[in-house]
Amino acid sequence: MAGTSPAMTSGWSVVLVCAVVLVVAAMTDASLHHALAQNPFGAPKGVPDSQVGGIIGWLLTKQSEFYRAMSSTIRAAKSDGSAVWTLLAISFAYGIFHAAGPGHGKAVISSYLVANEETAKRGIILSFVSALMQALVAVLIVGIGAWLLNVTAKTMCSTERWVEIASYGLIAAFGARLVWTKGRGFVRALRPSLPAAGPQLAMAHARASVHGHDHHHHEHAHGHAHAHAHAHTAHAEATASAHVHHDDSHHDHVHDEHCGHSHGPTPDQLAGPGGWARGLSAVFTVGIRPCSGAILVLVFALAQGMFWAGIAATFVMGLGTAITVATIAVIAVSAKGLAGRLAGGRDGSGALVMRGIEFGAAALVMLFGVGLLLGYVAAERVTCF
Amino acid sequence: MLLMNRFLGLIAIMTALAGSITVASAHPHVFVTASSELIYAPDGTITGVRHAWVFDDMFSTYALQGIESKTKGVYTREELAPLAQTNVESLKEFAFFTFAKVEGKKQRFNDPVDYYLEKRDAALVLHFTLPFKTPFRAKKMELEIFDPSFFVDFGLEKKDPIKLAGAPASCTMAIQRPSDGAAKAQTMNEDTFMNGENSNYGAMFANKITVDCP
Repeated sequence: MAGTSPAMTSGWSVVLVCAVVLVVAAMTDASLHHALAQNPFGAPKGVPDSQVGGIIGWLLTKQSEFYRAMSSTIRAAKSDGSAVWTLLAISFAYGIFHAAGPGHGKAVISSYLVANEETAKRGIILSFVSALMQALVAVLIVGIGAWLLNVTAKTMCSTERWVEIASYGLIAAFGARLVWTKGRGFVRALRPSLPAAGPQLAMAHARASVHGHDHHHHEHAHGHAHAHAHAHTAHAEATASAHVHHDDSHHDHVHDEHCGHSHGPTPDQLAGPGGWARGLSAVFTVGIRPCSGAILVLVFALAQGMFWAGIAATFVMGLGTAITVATIAVIAVSAKGLAGRLAGGRDGSGALVMRGIEFGAAALVMLFGVGLLLGYVAAERVTCF
Repeated sequence: MLLMNRFLGLIAIMTALAGSITVASAHPHVFVTASSELIYAPDGTITGVRHAWVFDDMFSTYALQGIESKTKGVYTREELAPLAQTNVESLKEFAFFTFAKVEGKKQRFNDPVDYYLEKRDAALVLHFTLPFKTPFRAKKMELEIFDPSFFVDFGLEKKDPIKLAGAPASCTMAIQRPSDGAAKAQTMNEDTFMNGENSNYGAMFANKITVDCP
């Protein structure tokens, strides 16, 4: 943002950080309040806003409509082959609407994408992997449980419950790891004058001393799994011309202790730290928990002798779910990108804001896991009877 | 100005995210059509509630998974007995989705008796009686049938879903179904039934029965 004075940028940054903290706190608080209300005689809860209730009510109605239509369509498909297409269409629509409700990993994946500075493209891919994994798990549970072993519904439901617990525990553990990583990044952003360490810093240091960029380099080259660190190493080793170009373009800036310029690569040049392994771990935590609706549909289809149709419907459902989750993931990544531009780039106070948002998002992942485990957060929990 | 707009836009997006996460229970996966009887003793006290719950065909099929029967598709009461036992035991955790109040005081139930499952066409029907811990006489009683987490959707039988068995002639009964728009509007604003406030989403879809015995 050329022509923006650092004072104005940092002013907005402070407001932004406060807003982010407020929103995160509100989300956590709202989640707790909503979930505490699951107990019929529990703590009093504010009545849902009738306007929000209207949209939510509509979403719920649509979900129920599509869900109920699936059983009659499967029956029809027994005699009329073309009904299978109707079934797939309904399943797809169900997947899209259904994913708007709690569960399906939207919140965890979106928070992870924000916390780990992932690109929208990766977010979309991860959303699809997660949704299709959920479909696969559902097919496996029913295929092995009902088709192969002919177990009772009680057994399958217990399996679902255990998988749920495992998933929530994994989310919490993954979140804790993320909090540790991003927390360190946040703390470092708060204290830019830490002493340097490591060979890559020496090279950067040499350049830095010429232009007075010491603190900025320190902040970026600390060795935890941060995109900037990796990028900076790459930059330091890269052609001198590239580096010079960066320096030249920033000669006009006022040099405060943070130096308002960017050395890191643009976000779309590389996805978040931890590579695919971290992203896939995130997806695994939510992917192992199947959609309970899918399990009911599969068992029903199996009993009607239409198991293959049920499997197809489940994967198409997964596709619909993937689209909704991916949409929300992209919104999350865009919101973060907006925040980044508002905060005036990714250095100095801008970097502080971004590290703060990432830390907040990492904390959210952990809180979701813990909340889900303790029953605080609403989830599509199976009721077994 | 542009900055302000973007800032507001960001807040809007994050609020929307927050809203989408905290909002709503999942949609129901089980659909029950209920008909119930309030059982009165000769001395005019209410002794219990007898339910007959018809489950939807998808859930019924799911529940019957792994249950053996001599004739395919036909299940006798004896063959369904273990499943009925499982049902009744599991339902205890959810207070049988039946909540009774007299003058604001919750009335407790004992464990169910006289329970069995029958297969009626494609649907499973669960019959069971919930005896009150202490039978009572009440001028006004409120009975609610619903799942707070809304995993189960309870609807009442279209015709004469609630009966007063052996009640004094002066007793009157009023039923409020969740599909009744007025009822919904009222529950969202007042919610006098459960602790003075609507404490959960499923309660918005509760079937409310009020019995007046002057």
